[in-house]
Parts: sequence; C-alpha cells; structure tokens
Amino acid sequence: MNKHISDMSREKIFNAIKSAKPTITADAKTIEDEALELLKESEFARPQLMSEDATEALMLRIDAGLVIGTTCEKISTLDMLPHSVKQFFDRNSLPAELKVQSVEPLNKLNWQGITTDIDIVNDNTVGLCWAEYGVAETGSFVAHSSPEMPILLNFLPLYLIAIIPKSKILHYMDDYALIANEIAKKKQTPRNMCLISGVSGTTDIEGVLVKGAHGPEVLHIIIVEDE
Amino acid sequence: MQANKPENFTQNVTDALAQPDLKMIIRRTTDKAEAKRTDAIANFPEFEKARAQGQKVKDHTIKHMDHYLAEFEKNALAQGTIVHWASTAEEASKIVLDICREHKAKKVTRSKSMLGEEIGLTHAFDNSDIERIETDLAEHIIQLAGDPPSHIIWPAMHRSREDVVKLFREFHSDPTYSEEITDLVRSARRDLRTKFLTSDIGISGSNFLLADSGSSCTVTNEGNAELTITPPKVHIVTAGIEKLVPSMAHAIPLLRLLTRSATGADITQYITFHNGPKRKNDADGPEECHIVLVDNGRTKMLAEGMEEMLRCIRCGACMNHCVVYKHIGGHAYGSVYPGPMGSVLTPHLQSLEVANKQTHACTMNGRCEDVCPVNIPLPKLLRSLRAQSWQKKYEPLTNRFFVKFFGQLAKRPQLFQLFSSCGVIFMKIFSRNGWIKFMPFTSGWTKNRDLIEPETTTFMHQYKKLKNLKVMERKL
Repeated sequence: MNKHISDMSREKIFNAIKSAKPTITADAKTIEDEALELLKESEFARPQLMSEDATEALMLRIDAGLVIGTTCEKISTLDMLPHSVKQFFDRNSLPAELKVQSVEPLNKLNWQGITTDIDIVNDNTVGLCWAEYGVAETGSFVAHSSPEMPILLNFLPLYLIAIIPKSKILHYMDDYALIANEIAKKKQTPRNMCLISGVSGTTDIEGVLVKGAHGPEVLHIIIVEDE
Repeated sequence: MQANKPENFTQNVTDALAQPDLKMIIRRTTDKAEAKRTDAIANFPEFEKARAQGQKVKDHTIKHMDHYLAEFEKNALAQGTIVHWASTAEEASKIVLDICREHKAKKVTRSKSMLGEEIGLTHAFDNSDIERIETDLAEHIIQLAGDPPSHIIWPAMHRSREDVVKLFREFHSDPTYSEEITDLVRSARRDLRTKFLTSDIGISGSNFLLADSGSSCTVTNEGNAELTITPPKVHIVTAGIEKLVPSMAHAIPLLRLLTRSATGADITQYITFHNGPKRKNDADGPEECHIVLVDNGRTKMLAEGMEEMLRCIRCGACMNHCVVYKHIGGHAYGSVYPGPMGSVLTPHLQSLEVANKQTHACTMNGRCEDVCPVNIPLPKLLRSLRAQSWQKKYEPLTNRFFVKFFGQLAKRPQLFQLFSSCGVIFMKIFSRNGWIKFMPFTSGWTKNRDLIEPETTTFMHQYKKLKNLKVMERKL
C-alpha cells in the first residue's frame, strides 16, 4: 500500500517540478559543469586560518578557546601516548580506566597500569579514538564508522581523547570533501562520517552553555608527529 | 499548553502580549543570538562572498531539482537506503508510522527536526501505541510540558529554569533537587541515556541531502542525533525535497553560513553524514535505513514564484532579528515555523486563507533580509502574499473598505489634504501629554499600545510652508 502511495507521490512531485517555471531541464554534463563552477568561489568565501601550517592553525584555534571544551597537545611519537593519557587522568582526577578503540596503532602500545577494556555505556568512561583526519578551519577531528570504529565511542563517554596523525590534518573542510569524494569513487564510503568540533553542549535552558549534554564534557586532542 | 491555530493570529497575539514575562524571556535568548551572530560575522570578513556562494548553490539546486532528486534517489538506493516519497504531510506521517509498525516498534527516539513537526509526526505518535522520546534537550522539555516549539533553534525558549525544575522533578526517574542549570542538564542526560540505548527505531531530520552520494547530514551541538540513530536497528530520515545540494563540497559553504547565522558559532559541534545502513561487520549502526522525501507544498511554492523561499536553511536568524517576533514569541504564529520565514512558509504549507494575517505582522524594516544567510527577500515575498490575500478577498471587509477609501482619496490631492487636516484636528482632541490612549476606529492599535500625538499640521502643509520659505529666501 505504502509502495503504491510512494510511487504515485514520486510521479506527482516530478511532474510538478518539471512544469514549474524556475526549473530548467538540462543534460547531466551541463549541470555538473555548472555545479563545479560554483565550487571555484569557495577559495574566496572561507575564513582565514590562524596559521598557514594546518597543525599549528588547529592547535592555535583550540588554545584560543574557540573549540568548546577542548584542549590539545602534540607528542612526537606514538609511544608517548600512554604517558599523555595518564597525565589526562591525573588532570581530571579520573581512575586509570580507558576504552581504547581497537585499531592496530593503539593495540600495540604498552597500556600497563591502565584498564583498557571497559563498558562505554558507563557514564564516566574515558574513550580513546583514532581519528581519520583533523580539520584546522574548525578545530575538528573526523571519525569514520568501521568494524574497528564504533561511532558510539565518540558519543557515550563523558571524557574523550582523540588521536590525530599530523599528516592527516587538513586546512579546510573543503579538503575533507575532496577526500570523501575520492573514497566514494572507490565505493568505500563508510556509513557515518562525523566531523566533531568540541564537546556535547546545550544552551537550551535560559541560553546558558552547559557542556556534556548527552556526550563528552571534555575533549582532549593529541596530535602525533610521526604518523 | 494547547497549540495555537494560525487562523486565530489576532487573538494569539493579544494573549502573548498579555503574558508579563514573555517578552523578557524571548529577548534573553534572541538578543544574545543577535549579538553572537554580529561577532561571528565581524570575525568572518568573507561572509558576503560566502553568502553569495550559498545563494548560488541553493538556486542552482532548485533550478535542477528534478535532476538532483533523481540522482539522490539513485545513490541512496545504491547505499542500501529505502527511499519513500510523500506529497503531503499526512502521507509522510503514515509512511513513518507504518515502518514503525512493520518493525513492531514500541519505543522510538527522535532528534529535533522541524519537518517532523511540520508533518505532524509528534501528534501521530502520540495518537498511536508507540512511545515517542524526544532527545534534543529543548524538545525533551517541551515534550514533558506538552508545548509546541516556539523557535526553530531553541524550541523551549519560552520555558524558564523554574519551569524546567518542576518538569524534571515530576517526570525524571532520578531527578535532581538542585536548581542549577548544569544539574538540570545532568538529570536529562541520566534520564535519556537508557532511552537512547533501548530504542527500537531512531528518527532524524536532515539539514542537507547530498545528491551525489545519497547521504543525509545532521547538524547538532548536543550529539543527540548520532545517539538517536546509532543504537536502534532502524533509522528513518524525514526530509523536505528542498534540502538537496549537489555534493558534500556544496554543503560546506552552507554549513559555514548556517551555524554562524543560527547561534553565532563558527561551526556546530557535530556534523555527521549518514550513508545508509551499517556495513558488514561495522561495530555499530542501524541495519535498515529509510528516507522519506517530503513535498508538502514545496513544488507549489516553485510553481507560484516563491522559489526563493526554498533556499531557506532553517537558521532562525530572521526571527532573532524580527521586532514582531521579539514581542509576541513563536506560539502566537500558530505554526511550526514562526517569525518572518514562517509567515511566508505557513500560507504554503497550510493555506493563505488561514495564515494571511501573519503576512501583515511585519514592519517591513528589512532586517530579516539583511541577516538571511542565503539572501531570501522575505519582505518582497510577504508583500507578494499580501497582494494575493487582497486578490482572493481574504482581508476583512472593514480593511478592504478603508484601503479602497484611501485609494480614492489618494487620487484626489485636494480632498486628501482636507481629510488629512481634519484627521490631525480629530487626533488632537484625543491626545494627552503627547500620546493617544483611545480614539474611535483605532482600537486595533490602542488596545496594546499608545499612538503618538501628531504634529500640529499635516506633512503637506509643513512641506508647502518650507517650500514657500525657501522661495522667499531665494528672492531675498
């Protein structure tokens, strides 16, 4: 029944659009060229970065307090990560418990002294995730869903640490769109592509900002130089 | 709170103006939003270029809407999404409810979507045996209060902290006894956490639909969209057909405009592109994904020369800057979409006959157009609707009589001047200390505010006097 309604509506909608004055029937190539032409304007219609170097721009943005609830540090090798995580626990007076995303670079690290496999449903969890990309323009990290990347790891814990390899930090969101386009061409688009720029926040009660509305209250970004 | 009806606009306004704190509550949020937007634009000198680009992206998509809709459908199907089409709100609502029933859903979580409100989804669930759980904090508050939304970005802006304290104490399983806003938010976090994880179906809207990939995009600050969508087995997206853009690269300029215009932030905390159901072996995500593409008056707008309104990206900047909205709030409009954008949309989504009064609730100061991130000429569109309302004889007889009478007078300058002079004398009779509190034929105005006392003589009289003076000066 719904299929029938849906098909009828589809036909009705397309007929209405085709008969409306502002719509123009053109061949796909002409439309594509016109659409590409519009993107040439992006270069002049985006904000200036705080530095020409993408990593520096991302860090400066976070240090300036422009990314809500977020701090940032840079480490020279991945081996230093467990130490940085321990410092994070100390700073936030947290028990040494961590939910580590199961990816090879993180699995092979020495997590001695830290419990690494806990249930992320528990509210006070610290999550550790491996970001696909960083974006300097917005101070974001990008997570892609995969067998190794549960999307909920970025949303359930109250504390989140995201690792971004320095080589994966992009200048603008437009640069990420180009990459997403390449992934799509290879038919490898993940189910979710999340651009995360700060912590879960709300201003819904009297316009007052409260962090940790549903997801993380604290986000710490660690940039690894050697990757 | 019973939802107001658009056809009762005059009464709704009277009721709103009678609420002593409403104006202060509205301005607390809208003034802050206005100031934050001003700062955001000042820190983004390329804003005008971005605005021009955003407008072009939307106009291009609207111009080739049939092409992009077909592309979107093809690519969404290829991602494994089941695509549904709905001409009307009723059809859209029925499709969503039927999917829920097919899956024997008992509980659905929903992230904020104005389209969901537009198609009456909230009422449809409330009249069914399926429990609806709103997950956006503001929507959660108004669901507990039984209120309709009063703003498209801050739907609970009409509710004070004290109201929220009472609601949470009554409805939350583990309520806070503190009145601190942080503790109230924590209470909601606790209450909603288990609901996110035990929901049968997650329902979201979509800020953008990407034609080249068949993706939908959600934009939130709370992260509730991802928490709504990821745990359940089924994800349903409801989206208006005007949400289309050619690709992610085309959505990005609009994202830059959307958040700056809505909240004054450079970017929102969570932007997620959803591409169908979970892939094989994915760690989480729904197994089934549906998208309901809704017309509900949009093609009619296209046919009736209102296509500029289809550019709207639902940022709410027009209402934050509207002097009328700031006085009466969102509920008075009696529609899902209040403020200037709502006054243009509602006549198309419902009918001009029931929503023609809203088109007159505008001072034509043009601020809405000035701040619109995609250059929608809202005053022009409102004037066009006023003209249609006049042609269709929806205006009250008294208004029609006085406008026609004025038209006749305006064509006869001497008679016009005579009436104006008499008018000034008449008004002077009722003025006290520079203000008129009551005067026959003006109760529509003086019921809620005073009229200013006129000058001693008419404009024409003063103009002539000035002209004569200048002639004399020149002669001298």
